Amino acid sequence: MNCVELQESLAEVEDASSGEQRAHLRACPACTALVRELDLIIAAAGELQAAEEPSPRVWNSIEVALRQEGLIRRSQAGGTFIPSFITRWGAARWLVPAAAMLLLALGIYVRRESQPRQLAQEATVTVPSASASDLDDSDLMQEVAANAPAMKTQYEDNLRQVNESIRDAQGVVDESPNDEEARRSLMDAYQQKSMLFEMAMDRSLP
Amino acid sequence: MRPEKGDLTEPRQHQSTDLSEAEAIERAKLGDAEAFQVLYDKHKRRVYSLCLRMTANTAEAEDLAQEAFLQLYRKIATFRGESAFSTWLHRLSVNVVLMHLRKKSLPVVSLEETTQGTEEDSPKKDFGADDLALAGSIDRLQLQRAVDSLPPGYRTIFVLHDIEGYEHNEIAKIAGCSIGNSKSQLHKARMKLRDLLKMNRAEKAGKSRAG
Repeated sequence: MNCVELQESLAEVEDASSGEQRAHLRACPACTALVRELDLIIAAAGELQAAEEPSPRVWNSIEVALRQEGLIRRSQAGGTFIPSFITRWGAARWLVPAAAMLLLALGIYVRRESQPRQLAQEATVTVPSASASDLDDSDLMQEVAANAPAMKTQYEDNLRQVNESIRDAQGVVDESPNDEEARRSLMDAYQQKSMLFEMAMDRSLP
Repeated sequence: MRPEKGDLTEPRQHQSTDLSEAEAIERAKLGDAEAFQVLYDKHKRRVYSLCLRMTANTAEAEDLAQEAFLQLYRKIATFRGESAFSTWLHRLSVNVVLMHLRKKSLPVVSLEETTQGTEEDSPKKDFGADDLALAGSIDRLQLQRAVDSLPPGYRTIFVLHDIEGYEHNEIAKIAGCSIGNSKSQLHKARMKLRDLLKMNRAEKAGKSRAG
């Protein structure tokens, strides 16, 4: 066996344990070094197994998708809310999720309404709280910034997008109160916002 | 030492709960949000690292890890416990990555195999006494960079075998190639890594001499 044959044979017998391989290695320092170096690479490779941590964005996106697909529900186990959120907001901590749930309930009511004109009025009723809604947004962002700065940008983006969606959809509903698709979009946007609030309150923050 | 195949358990767990994995799986089947996060926290590093090694791209790896976990959660009701959960998740993650590579038209197994290797990869090169030997241990970061710079086909086999601990018959099944092909690709990948690491050492030695 020569050096080329030895190297080729390592694909099949990688630990160089065959009789021919051992005979060649005894007489060839270069191939002995090669085998030793390949062993070093194999040993070092094992250390690469689980070294990296994904960014918080990954779980955030997973949770949004799971909620959108209806695969998860709120845990029944107690004490899962963010502690600092509870202590800092005191009794008022319920205002944000309550507002979100109210929006959601209104959305469901509007969607189920049969009279298009009345629907438009109901849909419009949900929006005037824009200033209040903005205030809630900023409060929520302060909380996210304080507890999980790494996720602040993600929440800001999500909130901005969902607020834009609400504005756009409301504009279309105002112009065309009978547009079923527009009403559905509006309610979907409110649901997404409700979901974001719920996530921030519930478990997205570490 | 070869890693335990498919053992995705996190070396250090940062869990906010005392849920065991078995409990978390059962509760996740019922849609419990906390259980989903427990499973994610427990396995995220291994899944993400696998994705990162196989793609050598952070953004892609995050997207693929996300997809792997979403698929896991969608299918978790079908998990019956015949195999270890970590093995199940590992196989699922590998499939997600390989599917992604195929969609990108990147060869899961190197095409060079069909042409009996190139000049560069054929085992003609002998490193003589003048070469910088890879003595002692290999720097983890250097190896990581070298793996990242492997051609995708070589990288896939190397990651599956030497990092994740799959056997050649399993790789052949997963990657859709022959066992011989898997062995050959692995050997070429290791040889290529050796070259890359030596080049890296030579560059460093040159710089330190110049400095």
